Amino acid sequence: MDGKSKYSYYVEQGALQVSDRPRKFLEAFAAVLEHSNYGLPLEVYTRISAKCSRCAAACQLYQSTQEDRDIPCHRSELLLRIFRRYFTRSGILRARLAGGFTLSDEYLDEMAESFYRCTACRRCKLTCPMGIDHGLITHLARWLLAEIDVIPKALLVAVREQLQGVGNTSAIPVAALKDTCEFLEEELQDLYHVNIKYPLDVEGAEYVFLPAVSDYLLEAETLMGNAAVMHVTGGSWTIGTGNYDGINYGLFYSDRMMERIVRNVAQEVRRLKGRKVLVGECGHATRSAWFLPTFCGAEAPPVVNCMQYAWSQLEAGRIPLKEQKIIERVTYHDPCNIARAGRITEEPREILRAICSDYVEMTPNRTANYCCGGGGGTVSIDEIRAFRTGPMGKRKADQIRATGARYVVAPCANCKKQLREVCEDNGLEDVQVIGLHDLLLKVIDLEKGA
Amino acid sequence: MEQWLEWARGPAFIFSFIFMILGLARHLVLTVWEVAVAWRRAGDKTIPWRQIAVVTLKWMFPAGRIGQQPLFSLTSIAFHAAILIVPLFLAGHIALWFRGAGVSWPAIPNGLADVLTIVAVVTAVALVLQRVAARSTRALSRFQDYALPLAIAVPFASGFMVMHPAFNPFSFDAVLFVHVMSANIVMVLIPVTKLAHMALVPGVQLISEMAWHWPPDAGSKVAVALGKEGARI
Repeated sequence: MDGKSKYSYYVEQGALQVSDRPRKFLEAFAAVLEHSNYGLPLEVYTRISAKCSRCAAACQLYQSTQEDRDIPCHRSELLLRIFRRYFTRSGILRARLAGGFTLSDEYLDEMAESFYRCTACRRCKLTCPMGIDHGLITHLARWLLAEIDVIPKALLVAVREQLQGVGNTSAIPVAALKDTCEFLEEELQDLYHVNIKYPLDVEGAEYVFLPAVSDYLLEAETLMGNAAVMHVTGGSWTIGTGNYDGINYGLFYSDRMMERIVRNVAQEVRRLKGRKVLVGECGHATRSAWFLPTFCGAEAPPVVNCMQYAWSQLEAGRIPLKEQKIIERVTYHDPCNIARAGRITEEPREILRAICSDYVEMTPNRTANYCCGGGGGTVSIDEIRAFRTGPMGKRKADQIRATGARYVVAPCANCKKQLREVCEDNGLEDVQVIGLHDLLLKVIDLEKGA
Repeated sequence: MEQWLEWARGPAFIFSFIFMILGLARHLVLTVWEVAVAWRRAGDKTIPWRQIAVVTLKWMFPAGRIGQQPLFSLTSIAFHAAILIVPLFLAGHIALWFRGAGVSWPAIPNGLADVLTIVAVVTAVALVLQRVAARSTRALSRFQDYALPLAIAVPFASGFMVMHPAFNPFSFDAVLFVHVMSANIVMVLIPVTKLAHMALVPGVQLISEMAWHWPPDAGSKVAVALGKEGARI
C-alpha cells in the first residue's frame, strides 16, 4: 500500500503500520485532557451543541459540496462522540449498560479524512449561537490523530526539518541564507540604486526578523519591501542565523511540536539580546508568535507583525512615498490567522488606502473573510490541490472575480501560494497575488529615505 | 384526579424545580471552577475580557444576527423570548409563588401572555418543521432535537387551554394536570439535556477562549505521559 492510497494526502509508510490505534488514540486523548485546557470546552460543547446547522451556511466548503460530512458541527461531532463515550461519566455508564459506539480503526480513518477537509479558519464560530469553536476541535483532533502518526507527510517533513534537520522548514542552510540576502541587496542596488543591508546576527537590535522562511525562496519582492521599510525608517533589526523561520506547522497538527518551535523563537531572540519579534508577511507565523507568552510567560518578547510596524511608521510620517500611487485596482485578502479574531485588519487597509488610487474591498471581509482555501497547513499538501482550489477555493475565486482587481494583496506566505493556485485553476490568470510590502516597495521614495 | 393534581402541583413540582435549580447551579459552579483552574494553569493569562463580553452580549441579544438566516433566526428568537417571559411573568404563576412562598414581582398583562403563549407553541412547531425541511439540519439532528421543542410546547398549549376554558374540550383538571406535569418534566430535562445551554451559554465564549490559553508545558507533559519525550519526529 503506498502512502496515499488510504487518505487523500500522503502519510509516511510507518503510519500505515501502526497497530492498536483506537487504544493509542484514547491514551493520547486521556493524556491531553489531563495536561491541557481542552477538557472544559469539550465538556460544555457536548452538553449544549444544538445541531442547528447555522455553521453549514458559514462554511465555504459546505457551500460548494453540500455534503453532510462538510458541516462543521457534523465534523466536530466525530470528536465529541469519542469524548462523550470515553471521558464522561454518563457516556461510560451508558456504554456499560447498553453498549453502543466503540472507537474503531475505520472511525479513525473517517476522522483522518474529515479533519483535513477543514482549514480551521474558524469562520463558523462567528455564526454558532452556542459559541462552539469548531476550529478548536479541528486543531485538537489533528493533534490526537498525530499521536497515532496520522499526519500529512508534507507537514511532518517540514517540522522534522525545522526541529531535527537544518533548522527551518525549507531546509535552507545558513550559507544559502547569506547568499540570498546578498542577492537581495544587489537587486535593491540594481533596481532602486540604494544601498540597503540585511543585518545578520546583530546583537541588541530592537527587532529580530522572522518571516516565513519560504519567502527567501519565493518572495524576493516582499523581503525587499521589508528591508526598504526598515531602511527608510531607520529601524533597528536583525536576522538571526540561529533561527530565521517564523513558520510553525505545529499549529496545524501538534501542540507538542508547536511548543518546541515557539520556544526556539524565544531562544534566538535571547541569544541575540533582541527586544521584539518582527514577524514577516505570514498569518500563521504571527499567530504562532502570539503564543510566546504562553510558553515564556510575561517575560516573552513582544510580537509585532511587519504590517503593524509599517503602518505605525507610515502614520508617523516616517515612510516617504512617491507622488505616483499604484493605479491598478487592488483588493485585500484577510489571512484568517490574523484577522478572524480581529487582531490585524485595519493596518494593512490604512497602508493600501495611502498607496493605491483604486483600492476595493472583497465582500465579506475582515473577521468574516473567507479563507484562501489552503488554511490549516493544507496549502502545503500538493496532492490535494484539486480539492483546495476546487470546492475549498471556489468561494474565494468568486470573491476575487467580483472585485475586478488586478492585484490581490495577501500578506501571508501560505495564502499567497494558495491564492495563486486558486487563480490559475479558476480562470483568473490576469490577477496577480502579491504581498503588501511588494506594493510598498514600488511606492516608497527611497531617495528621500534615510 | 384531584389527588393526582395535588401531587403534581405539590411534591412533583417541588422536586422538579429544585432538581432544575440544583442541576443548573452544579453546571455553573463546576464551569466557573474549571475556568479558574484553566486560567491558573494558562501560560498566557491575558484574556481579552472586553471582546469576550461584547460577543457574549451580542449572542444574548442576537437581533444583529437575524440577517444571516432570517426565518430561522426570527423563529428562534421569538421562541426563546416567549418561553422565558410567560412562565416567569404570568400573573397566575406569580400569584402561586406569592401564595406558596410569599414572594411577588410585576406581571405582564394576560393578553400579552396569551399572544406569547401562542407564539411559543407556533414557533416550537416551526422550529421542528424547519429542522426537518433543511437538509443540513436534518443530517445533524438527534431524537432530542425534535423532541425537546415539542415537549416544551406541551405546557404552553395546555396552559393556554387552562386559561381559556372555551378552547378546552377536555376536563379542566385533566388539562391542568398535563400542564403542570409537562412543565415538571421539562424542568427535569433542563440540566440533563442540551437545554442546559440556558446556564452555560453565557460563559461559552470565555470557555472557548480559555481553551487556547494553554499550560506552558502541556505538550512536554503529554510527551512524557506517552513515553515520547526525546523521540525522533
